[in-house]
Amino acid sequence: MTAITDQAFLSYRDDERRAGIIKFVVTLLFIGFGFWSVEFLNIPIERLLGMFGRLGYMISENLFPPEMSYVMEQRVLDSIIETIQMSILGATIGTLITLPLAWFAAWNVTPSRAFLYPLARGIIVITRGMPTLMWAMVLVAIFGFGPFAGMLALVKETIGFAGKLMAESVESIDMKRVEAIRATGANDFDILFFAVIPQVWANWIGIIIYNWDAQLRNSTILGFVGAGGMGLYLREQISILEYHTAMAIIVVIIGLVVLSETVSHYLRRRLY
Amino acid sequence: MTDMVVTGNPLRDPKKIARKYFAVALFAVLVIYIADTIIIEGTDWERMGSLEEVVKTMLFFLPDFSFFPQTVVPLLETVLIAFWGTALAVVFSMPIAYLAARNITPLPWLTYPLGRCMIVLSRSTHEIIFALIYISALGLGPLPGILALASRSLGFMAKTTSEAIENVKKGPIEAMEAVGANRTTIFFFGVMPQIFPIFVGNAIFQLDINIRRASILGLVGGGGIGLMFAEVMQNLQYDRAGMIVVGITAMVVFGEFVSNRVRQRLV
Amino acid sequence: MAVLEISQLKKTYPGGELALKGVDVSVEAQEVVVLLGLSGSGKSTLLRCVNRLVEPDSGTIVLDGVDITAQDKRTLRRTRCSMGMIFQEFNLIDRLTVLENVLSGTLGTTSTLRGIFRAFRQEDIQRALALCERVGIIDHIRKRADQLSGGQRQRVGIARALMQYPKILLVDEPTSALDPKIGREVMDLLTEVARELKIPMLVSVHDIFLAKNYSDRIVGLQGGEKIFDQETRSIETEELDQIYHEAG
Repeated sequence: MTAITDQAFLSYRDDERRAGIIKFVVTLLFIGFGFWSVEFLNIPIERLLGMFGRLGYMISENLFPPEMSYVMEQRVLDSIIETIQMSILGATIGTLITLPLAWFAAWNVTPSRAFLYPLARGIIVITRGMPTLMWAMVLVAIFGFGPFAGMLALVKETIGFAGKLMAESVESIDMKRVEAIRATGANDFDILFFAVIPQVWANWIGIIIYNWDAQLRNSTILGFVGAGGMGLYLREQISILEYHTAMAIIVVIIGLVVLSETVSHYLRRRLY
Repeated sequence: MTDMVVTGNPLRDPKKIARKYFAVALFAVLVIYIADTIIIEGTDWERMGSLEEVVKTMLFFLPDFSFFPQTVVPLLETVLIAFWGTALAVVFSMPIAYLAARNITPLPWLTYPLGRCMIVLSRSTHEIIFALIYISALGLGPLPGILALASRSLGFMAKTTSEAIENVKKGPIEAMEAVGANRTTIFFFGVMPQIFPIFVGNAIFQLDINIRRASILGLVGGGGIGLMFAEVMQNLQYDRAGMIVVGITAMVVFGEFVSNRVRQRLV
Repeated sequence: MAVLEISQLKKTYPGGELALKGVDVSVEAQEVVVLLGLSGSGKSTLLRCVNRLVEPDSGTIVLDGVDITAQDKRTLRRTRCSMGMIFQEFNLIDRLTVLENVLSGTLGTTSTLRGIFRAFRQEDIQRALALCERVGIIDHIRKRADQLSGGQRQRVGIARALMQYPKILLVDEPTSALDPKIGREVMDLLTEVARELKIPMLVSVHDIFLAKNYSDRIVGLQGGEKIFDQETRSIETEELDQIYHEAG
């Protein structure tokens, strides 16, 4: 064994020891953080132990089998249709608002970097950050119970969700075509219609469909705060402890989501 | 010029164009019909009153910033719920990812569909529904909230991780087989380092999303800021509700900013 | 006695592609045998059949007097521990350090738990460092494998194979991913170390000059069949050319 190897070994062993100490301290801190969290959140540890038993009981006795006949009642069926309607209308109106916003919020082709860009970005960022269900509660307080408030909540959600994706897709376009058209003396509108939209169109269609899929998911629970759709009955049934019927609605919700995912997947594949 | 407009683009099939316009028209009619049911028939415009009154209600929501200090603790709670929910999801997603990765799943005919099924179930169930189930079994509080977020994130984490495992580079794995390493060692030594950056990136992404999700769990009794929001809404303290919405939005936007930064570093 | 004795090895891939049509090769102690042939001639398949990364259909492989063709998985893993393999694309784990990559050569003989936590034995670390110094990468041991140049990465691959105390080295196109000068350096190093440690080598190569300069014996493969097997000293370059001409 040569001197170089020996030296490398010694310094390597030092490194390993140091890394070991750091790992140990980090682990300790993490465990400490865990205990502090339990304390701070008032988590009843003793309840955690009996959790699986009760969860098992809950699922086997209360939730299964779901009472599917409940879903066949006219008012529940109506609410399911209302849910789908809300998602379509909210996504459509939202998309119409999002289209210009996405243009404004794309740094490379925005008509005004000083004013429209920050405005559009701000709207998108804020609508993304606001939790849908809370926003829906605010809307219900303003506009009253019913699908109108829910629809507006989905409009807000669409702006935040589709707006970001669409603006990002505009920002990744090939700028050579934009410059070629700008060189002909075209204005911002010409650039939008002849250089930007042709490039992002396919992508945008995909985003629009994907967004509808996301909004259908959201619309299933909006009723929880009275903003229209089947979520209302979920809340009602749970508050009167009718778990079998509540489970039936949950099954329908999961079914709807899987269905919308399939439809959106199919549409996106066909349109590309 | 006019000729071209009349004949149209010869490269396009006129039948296809007609079909496209027909589909668009059909969709427009559908939307108008829905708009009619929801906006005109489904809404009680009488109760809402005049535009003036609507604006007046809106103004009630102008945030009361003096309420801010009282929101700090519930906001912190919300972040903690999100953190531990994500942490649990990270831990439990690994075995599911192992089942759902086509190339390493132990019994392809059984464990692969099982893993996939769990992923679909987790991904297509809203966190509120998970929260309701856990709350009915465990009572109110942050614990069912944490479990709900964990259940919700589980699917996404398992899905992305199993896809990363499926896309692992084959060469290093072959080399490890050639030195005589067993399957477990190959997984930890050869596969894990390859999927690690993707895994951490997704965990951070989920943490960021879970902060937003955690803020509404309180509406159904899952702890955090949502509980306070439900209370002030019930007491018609709309200015405080406005403050809470502003606080959450600020927190979520900040969280997303940090998460994007960290993930960019990671790659 | 031959260290490695391959006889009548046959392999057909699931697609129906006939890769090996009954090949016999033997490697004597301390001998460097080159498998020469075009791509698709079956060189890689033959090498991978030796440690059964590719499962042969029929034929026998005898290593050190032990028939390994019928060994079960567990025994096979133990056998693999004594066969070092060096790859065309290096096959390092990019995100681990050079030293960890070298140490991965011991994974067949260390416990699973040590492997998971990358906690290697002190004497293995010392030996890995000594090998790093021997192949000339001691200054880079802390770097991540993907930060090295191609030649350096292949040196890591060589050190990893040597970590195994191999009875034989299986080398698959070690220089194809490198430029010619670096490739010759790597071949120089490889043959030097093999001679020093008295390890026989089975090397697949498609370059005639590399084959002539670095081997004791050349086995020509074409379309999954052995077309000649001769001492390197007694071969004329024209004879080697036929492999390429007839194939074309």
